[in-house]
Amino acid sequence: MASVVKGVVKAIREKGIRNFFNVLIEDGYANCLLDGNLLQTKIHSIGGKLVGVDQFGNKYYEKIENTQYGRHRWVEYGDKSRYNASQVPPEWHGWLHFITDHTGDELLMLKPKRYGVAHKQNYSGAGDEYIYHSKGHALNPGQRDWTRYQPWQPTKT
Amino acid sequence: MSFIARAIKVPPNSATLEEARSRTFDFFRKACRSIPNVIEIYNLYDVVTPSQLRSSIASQIRKNSHINNPKVIDMLLFKGMEELGNIVEHAKQRHHIIGQYVVGHGGLVQEVDTKDQGNSEFLKQFYTSNYF
Amino acid sequence: MGFFVLRALQRSRTPLSRLLSPQNPTFQSRWITSTTDLHKPEASAAAASEAPRPEIPPPRTPVGGARVHISSPEDAIEVFVDGYPVKIPKGMTVLQACEVAGVDIPRFCYHSRLSIAGNCRMCLVEVEKSPKPVASCAMPALPGMKIKTNTPVAKKAREGVMEFLLMNHPLDCPICDQGGECDLQDQSMAFGSDRGRFTEMKRSVVDKNLGPLVKTVMTRCIQCTRCVRFATEVAGVQDLGMLGRGSGEEIGTYVEKLMTSELSGNVIDICPVGALTSKPFAFKARNWEMKGTETIDVTDAVGSNIRVDSRGPEVMRVVPRLNEDINEEWISDKTRFFYDGLKRQRLNDPMIRGPDGRFKSVSWRDALAVVAEVMHQVKPEEIVGIAGQLSDAESMIALKDFLNKMGSNNVLCEGNGIHPHADLRSNFLLNTNIGGLERADVFLLVGSQPRIEAPMVNARIRKTVRATHAKVAYIGPPTDLNYDHQHLGEGPQTLLEIAEGRHPFCSTLLSAKNPAIIIGAGIFERNDRDAIFAAVETIAKHSKAIRPDWNGFNVLLLNAAQAAALDLGLIPESKNCIGSAKFLYLMGADDVNLEGVSNDAFVLYQGHHGDRSVYRANIIFPSSAFTEKEGTYENTEGCAQQTVPAVPTVGDARDDWKIVRALSEVAGSCLPYDSLAAIRARIRAVAPNLLSTDEREPATVSADVKPEFQYNMSMSGFKSAVENFYMTDSISRASKIMAQCSASLLKK
Repeated sequence: MASVVKGVVKAIREKGIRNFFNVLIEDGYANCLLDGNLLQTKIHSIGGKLVGVDQFGNKYYEKIENTQYGRHRWVEYGDKSRYNASQVPPEWHGWLHFITDHTGDELLMLKPKRYGVAHKQNYSGAGDEYIYHSKGHALNPGQRDWTRYQPWQPTKT
Repeated sequence: MSFIARAIKVPPNSATLEEARSRTFDFFRKACRSIPNVIEIYNLYDVVTPSQLRSSIASQIRKNSHINNPKVIDMLLFKGMEELGNIVEHAKQRHHIIGQYVVGHGGLVQEVDTKDQGNSEFLKQFYTSNYF
Repeated sequence: MGFFVLRALQRSRTPLSRLLSPQNPTFQSRWITSTTDLHKPEASAAAASEAPRPEIPPPRTPVGGARVHISSPEDAIEVFVDGYPVKIPKGMTVLQACEVAGVDIPRFCYHSRLSIAGNCRMCLVEVEKSPKPVASCAMPALPGMKIKTNTPVAKKAREGVMEFLLMNHPLDCPICDQGGECDLQDQSMAFGSDRGRFTEMKRSVVDKNLGPLVKTVMTRCIQCTRCVRFATEVAGVQDLGMLGRGSGEEIGTYVEKLMTSELSGNVIDICPVGALTSKPFAFKARNWEMKGTETIDVTDAVGSNIRVDSRGPEVMRVVPRLNEDINEEWISDKTRFFYDGLKRQRLNDPMIRGPDGRFKSVSWRDALAVVAEVMHQVKPEEIVGIAGQLSDAESMIALKDFLNKMGSNNVLCEGNGIHPHADLRSNFLLNTNIGGLERADVFLLVGSQPRIEAPMVNARIRKTVRATHAKVAYIGPPTDLNYDHQHLGEGPQTLLEIAEGRHPFCSTLLSAKNPAIIIGAGIFERNDRDAIFAAVETIAKHSKAIRPDWNGFNVLLLNAAQAAALDLGLIPESKNCIGSAKFLYLMGADDVNLEGVSNDAFVLYQGHHGDRSVYRANIIFPSSAFTEKEGTYENTEGCAQQTVPAVPTVGDARDDWKIVRALSEVAGSCLPYDSLAAIRARIRAVAPNLLSTDEREPATVSADVKPEFQYNMSMSGFKSAVENFYMTDSISRASKIMAQCSASLLKK
């Protein structure tokens, strides 16, 4: 606890009180007031070692000592308001779930250049535009055209 | 909406033709009131307007306008009620509605037969399809 | 109940007891061959002695209806196939003898139209008194030979060969386009072993780029060399070859180049495995889900027999059909791959051009009414009808009858020139017949480039040149014919020299037994066509090309509709009818020159593709393409054939003759036929030969009635009639594949 206070004092001294509060809000401490989940993560992160930050701003922490086994790796999502597990990109997934000890930054080297597609989170429940409709569905904006021939389009001559 | 349709009960018999007639109008009104709901649940906004659906229902009723037996009318009303219930309960799919009530049996373009009088059988068939 | 159980037990007793007996060979560890007894000579000997002679089955009918023609009785020899005596002519191979006897020998490398390679070894059979099994495709049958096709030795040999073939063949069948029609698949099921001893890695081979038509997966290749032999022998291009030896053996182009042949698509058909498949068809459909429709091709005047494979409303591919007299079993690339044009740029609704110059869709009723009204406003002689190059005979006779009823006699077919002669059939037909060209010993091509005008005719000429060393002379613009030929000159000057006997080639022509003179139909468009025809007729007379037993005077037409149009008499009354026309009825005519049409003329375009002429049209009638209708076409040798509808018409389109018939009724001069049968009855009155399908009506030889040789010839050289082989009609111009071909293969 003392280290936390020391760190806060040090940060205020370096940045000034206004900048300090800006950083606090940016890091989501304001959201902690309403979001206990986030607050718990923040508390958990005290003393954790920051292993890496991915392209989405998710921070990956590790703390070996004084932690219950299985809770020694965790992530603090970059998006403080709407976060879910699908925001973790595949290169970090293995590290986070104890599948591998290689961090995501190391595994990113293995990503295929030609056909590796960018990671996309799951938007389920995030709104109508994100709902998947199959090809022939009436609500699919690009409804499949079942016409098997292409008609001649009259152009003005 | 389904509970409304389910609540509609047709009493066993119409005593007179007058009563059957008024029941028919009741049925038509009920069907018309369910049209906005039908358009919503089957997503028919781009396909049809409420007035088109109304006239489609009206034409189906008019098709049986020659019937003057109250019992038969009651039977037809019951069938109509059942169909309406099915539609409102989403027991059908979109293409059923489009096929039966939007496109109809004669196709989108309702040809009037008066122009074809005096034409040969060949020409009449030619206008409808290539295969005869 | 108990009775049935008892019966069932009784029935099952025998196999059960056999299964349980320790001597049963099936329980011993089996080696590769399924005929286990072979590994124990004493067992097989015992089996042979024990087993009663198998009852001899009745003689079988020849494979594929094969027939033998034995010219003279002393040429016939007798061989025994599985114990049956068969009479065959001398020089036949063992494999052919077996086919005559009704035994189908498995084969990969052997193909009846190619030379014999004998390298796949699949056709091994046992011949009595021969120490080893013999490759039947390469072994000539000798008198008294006793051939055994079903013995353990032959079976084991096949199983062994199949095992070797499958050793390096990938297990691709689920993703292979040949799957379902693959010779290797079928024969490994029928003749192969049920297991292999393969443990090593399979070899892999780099795929070759053979152009936009043929897809290669060379790992699947079994080195039968059919494609190599086809390319060198039939197609006449030395592009493909065999590289390497042993397991490094590969088929390929020696240097990185595309296969530039107009027949290259046929290697897809002859490839027994999935090494060469169709690129446009790749992963589109499986052969068992398609409906085959046996019809004919209309891209050129040859009328190749094809099968249109369709799935639902789509044409998926086109494959050739056997017709010995026309296309043997090949088709040109245009025929095979232009089908995707049937799905693009289609006209699907009647359209009228409004005052603002834009087309808008209307109903048939309105469209017909508009046309009928316009037709009554113009003078009858200002009505002109032009039939397109894809028109069938039925629609052409309907068009002609209709316009005649309206009072006009100006009906023509594009490609036939402004003043065609239809009186003598011999003046516009390939009188020798395509099959008959094989008997010719000297060819004189006048302004005709058969390689691009009619590849099937060219393949026939090449076959003749290869087989009999016939001489070919050519007059016309420089071109690339894929056989040895003499380029005599470029224009009528050379023709005159030959006609007057001043040219050195005359001696060759005079000494020829069966000279064949082939005139290109491009000459129809020249103003001096009469003079050129007269000159050629003089040459034919000098060289005795027209005799009762041989007619060597040939015209090679360009389009599918030309011959039928001339037979039906689609001849315009006046020479400049197009210029003076006020109402122009274009029935699919896209290649006719519309520059001379006056601006106030009303142009009706009836066709299936939005091609060239729609841009001048005032009204468009959509009609059906040749895959969608039943129609009669006459090919360049005067042989009438019929198309069969394979797919439904698109949109609101109608058959051509139905449109003409409907229009005639709206216009008030109704045509008297309502059905295809009635319209054919009308054709019977005009040109009965169009109804006798698949028969060639020989033209009466009457060159003498023609007027004498005139010298009013223009000396300008012959032009090539076809600019781009891959794009000659509205369908192939709409095709993407053909566009790719002309971009990559016609690169100069």
